[in-house]
Amino acid sequence: MMLEKSTGYKKVIRWLKSSKKKPFKFQTDAWQYYAEGYSGLVNAPTGFGKTFSMFLAVVIDELNNQEAIKGTIVHNKKSNTKDIPVKKARKPAGLKLIWITPLRSLAKDLARAMTEVCTALELDWHVGVRNGDTPQNEKLKQKKQMPEVLIITPESMHLLLAQKDTANYFSDLQCIVADEWHELLGSKRGVMAELAISRIRGLLMEKHPERLLRIWGISATIGNMEQALDVLVPYEDVLKTIVVADLEKKIEIKSILPDHIDMLPWAGHLGHKLAHKLLPIIEKSKTTLIFCNTRGQAELWYQNLLKLDENLAGQIAIHHGSIDYELRNWIEDAIHTGVLKAVISTSSLDLGVDFKPVDTVIQIGSPKGVARFLQRAGRSGHSPYETSRIYFLPTHALELVEAAAIKEAAKTHNIESREPVVMSFDVLIQYMVTLAVGDGFDDQKLFEEVKNTFAFKELELSEWNWMMQFITTGGESLTAYTEFSKVEKEDGLWKVKSRQMAMRHRLHIGTIVSDAMIKVKYLTGGYVGMVEESFLSKIKPGNSFTLAGRVLEFIMVKEMIALVRKSRLKTAITPSWMGGRMSLTANLGAILRRKYNQTLDKTHEDEELDIILPLFERQAKVSHVPKDDEFLIELIKTRDGYHFFAYPFEGRQVHEIMAALIAYRLSKSKPISFSIAMNDYGFELLSEQPIPLDEENIKLLFSPANLGEDIVASINSTEMARRKFRDIACISGLVFQGFPGKYVANKHLQSSSALFFNVFSDYDKHNLLLRQAYDEAFYQQIEEPRLAAALHRIQGSKVIIVRAESYTPLCFPIKVDSLRENMSSEELGERIARMTAEADKKEEQAQRRRKNDHQL
Amino acid sequence: MTINCKGESLVLDKDKAIYWESKKMLIISDLHLGKGAHFRRAGIQVPATVMETDLDKLSRLISKFAPQILLVTGDMFHHQMNTEVETFRLWRTQFPDLRIILVKGNHDLLREEDYAGLSIEVHSKELLYFPFRFVHDQPRDFDEYYNITGHIHPGITIYGKARQQIKLPCFYFGSTCAILPAFSVFTGLSKIRAEEGDQFYAITPEKVVRV
Repeated sequence: MMLEKSTGYKKVIRWLKSSKKKPFKFQTDAWQYYAEGYSGLVNAPTGFGKTFSMFLAVVIDELNNQEAIKGTIVHNKKSNTKDIPVKKARKPAGLKLIWITPLRSLAKDLARAMTEVCTALELDWHVGVRNGDTPQNEKLKQKKQMPEVLIITPESMHLLLAQKDTANYFSDLQCIVADEWHELLGSKRGVMAELAISRIRGLLMEKHPERLLRIWGISATIGNMEQALDVLVPYEDVLKTIVVADLEKKIEIKSILPDHIDMLPWAGHLGHKLAHKLLPIIEKSKTTLIFCNTRGQAELWYQNLLKLDENLAGQIAIHHGSIDYELRNWIEDAIHTGVLKAVISTSSLDLGVDFKPVDTVIQIGSPKGVARFLQRAGRSGHSPYETSRIYFLPTHALELVEAAAIKEAAKTHNIESREPVVMSFDVLIQYMVTLAVGDGFDDQKLFEEVKNTFAFKELELSEWNWMMQFITTGGESLTAYTEFSKVEKEDGLWKVKSRQMAMRHRLHIGTIVSDAMIKVKYLTGGYVGMVEESFLSKIKPGNSFTLAGRVLEFIMVKEMIALVRKSRLKTAITPSWMGGRMSLTANLGAILRRKYNQTLDKTHEDEELDIILPLFERQAKVSHVPKDDEFLIELIKTRDGYHFFAYPFEGRQVHEIMAALIAYRLSKSKPISFSIAMNDYGFELLSEQPIPLDEENIKLLFSPANLGEDIVASINSTEMARRKFRDIACISGLVFQGFPGKYVANKHLQSSSALFFNVFSDYDKHNLLLRQAYDEAFYQQIEEPRLAAALHRIQGSKVIIVRAESYTPLCFPIKVDSLRENMSSEELGERIARMTAEADKKEEQAQRRRKNDHQL
Repeated sequence: MTINCKGESLVLDKDKAIYWESKKMLIISDLHLGKGAHFRRAGIQVPATVMETDLDKLSRLISKFAPQILLVTGDMFHHQMNTEVETFRLWRTQFPDLRIILVKGNHDLLREEDYAGLSIEVHSKELLYFPFRFVHDQPRDFDEYYNITGHIHPGITIYGKARQQIKLPCFYFGSTCAILPAFSVFTGLSKIRAEEGDQFYAITPEKVVRV
């Protein structure tokens, strides 16, 4: 039957018309594919009703099915009795749709929107939410009777599977939708979603092999759409497709330009000088979201804005992951109602519900990637055809080039890929125990099922057997793990028998490992947020710090809670939260290199590049501006020693490894030691001795040959793996982290991941989790493939070595960044002023010399 | 390394023990026997080789110093009787003449007869051997006795050039109290705050060094 002719379709169209709406083509396409039994992926810009493209598809299908059934009932009625009451009690239909969302905060609003649709279409469906915030009685109610639509996080799906008799929940399931799939894709939470979907599909197939379960994803644009679909729907025997919206979201990107360019740019300095330019923007907008890259920066900017304009007090708020849950909720509600003029936030507001009043977004500092920038821009002007408006505030002058690069990337849709996570044994081990806590599992069947997922398609039987041993006998040799008990066989199924163990496991389902955080609470009551334990250990009672935009005086730590009172001070130190610094993506790096060419050639239309031209002219004069096919090296001798600067533009993470690699290779020919610094553009090696480097050996130094061996020799890979093992130990259940801020009840079972890392390294070398830690370090931290690609590119480019007399505009930010790490900001300011003066003096001298040359 | 403390000469051994020469006494703390098995019972994979390493280390110390007394300042056993305690019982038979004294710690929860069965003398609160008081955790009040304790598994972070740092277990000697490092391999470290006049002896794989 043609979909357009069906009752359900007509009903939906009628309803849309009544609210003066018309479906977009991608929506009707999705409905059509859904009706034909396809699984797939919907890709559309934010604000165009991605949710409805899937939800209405399911609704239409349901309305049509009901129609078919009604037909038969009406028929029966005629032949039977007449006195059946017209209005019957609601007969639940069972779980029809599972809607996976990465964010809890999304669930509330989604449920509201879906319920509205059901009411309007007179569809007797309940929409339920199940996640960490769902009250216990609600969960029990769901256990008795599942709602027709369940909005759920990947973690809660696993929790559901950790219960008894779950198989029955899914008998009527029609569809699983993974919302914001691009967000889940690149993380271990994505693997959790993959595994849960495979189990639910397996359960349904076992009981009702004739039924069709559709799996759909909804995703923003990413570089690897096809792969994203394969990860979500890896099954060969289902029809699948990608529905792409033929719509473009209009985005207006504007840089906040400085009036004056410092000849030597350094990170962080310029930003606060430009802060006053934000005030008129905030003033004329309804609500502005201001994105910073770190929580510490957000706190600083909040204080700064208040200092600039005291009238903003009470009208601006600060939102980041370390602020108390209730406080955050309040802020989110306040954005909804439009009470707030501006909210300063970190990536905590990247995703999520549409804040209608938000019409302007400001990005402070480089967003490091195209996708993230566009995502943030999309937070404003959320409804279709409205323009998203984003301002970019550079924190140092060179970031203006990044602004130009991002503009181009946005225009050409050069958007990063999200690499799916594969072979995470820790997640798989957790999942196996999860199933053992629930109804138990058959190891052979489960192996087949798991091997069908994208994440574990390379899984070897030997690896699987190791994991089975790990959860049943503890490990390889039987004697080494006496008395171990966890998963045991009962009636042919592997189960966890101990109730205590089951309970503990349920508390630890998930892959988000938090740092040791301590809750901060007022003496008089009321939570403010969280800070890292290590930060608190450094400050003394009576000292003040800022959190959630408030200046707080630290009093004491009591039962894992830091007690504070309001401080009279205006400013105080800002806690630093760990959490890695983001690194420039490869896409952005490539465009950036191109923009450097254009600046000097003036073959561009970017006002950002015009403004920065003097800086580039200076760079060209004292050194060289690298072209697209050139690789610039600067050698500078100062009082500090011999500097070697290189500019691959590959992001700080790649530079960190590359710097260590080059340092190692240099030291092979002659013993020499370096200190290393880097930023997103390049890196520095500094030594007391002259660096043995010239046009001859340079290509050899940057050669991709023997890369693997040299990396292992040059960096402390054990230390990196140890860091990676922290998460792995938590996820696989070796270490209990407890809930952030909550008192750990199982003190006698506490230990640290570092301890396990040592114990396994010493006594159980074949441990797969250990191997995973090294693999993760190698591929995620070291990014070996990207490093190799960069070295290949360098081999193909023309190497330019410049021996400069003093710091150049390009190297200066790297130098300053390295100083920042061991100096307070006051000292830093003075030191930089001195360095700038020195560089200027040398430049003057040089000019004078040149003039003299001319006269001669 | 030998140090002088309150007029007594004490040997600090890199195997995390103190040997008190004049009393022929070997002093250790936080042995946590049976911790591995306790974890394994709870479904956490800890290899048993960990405990074998601990006992081997202890045997080595005993043959090195030939003490008359082995004093454990608390946390000798981790919670309950299990296979690892049985392994210890077997180990104990090698040293029938060795007096083992335990000052109880927070994890020592075996029954009195279990200790008797392993021929261990138990002191539930403290043990006085002038000029020292052996006790598991630091007491609040001070008197003429210098306290030798364990419990907190002291560690110290040493910073090197180029932002390198390394965390090591250590002996701590403060004004009123000394803290022994945890003997067991399967224990963590907690950093302690230094005060004026405190002395730290870090334990590297090769030797004990004063820092």
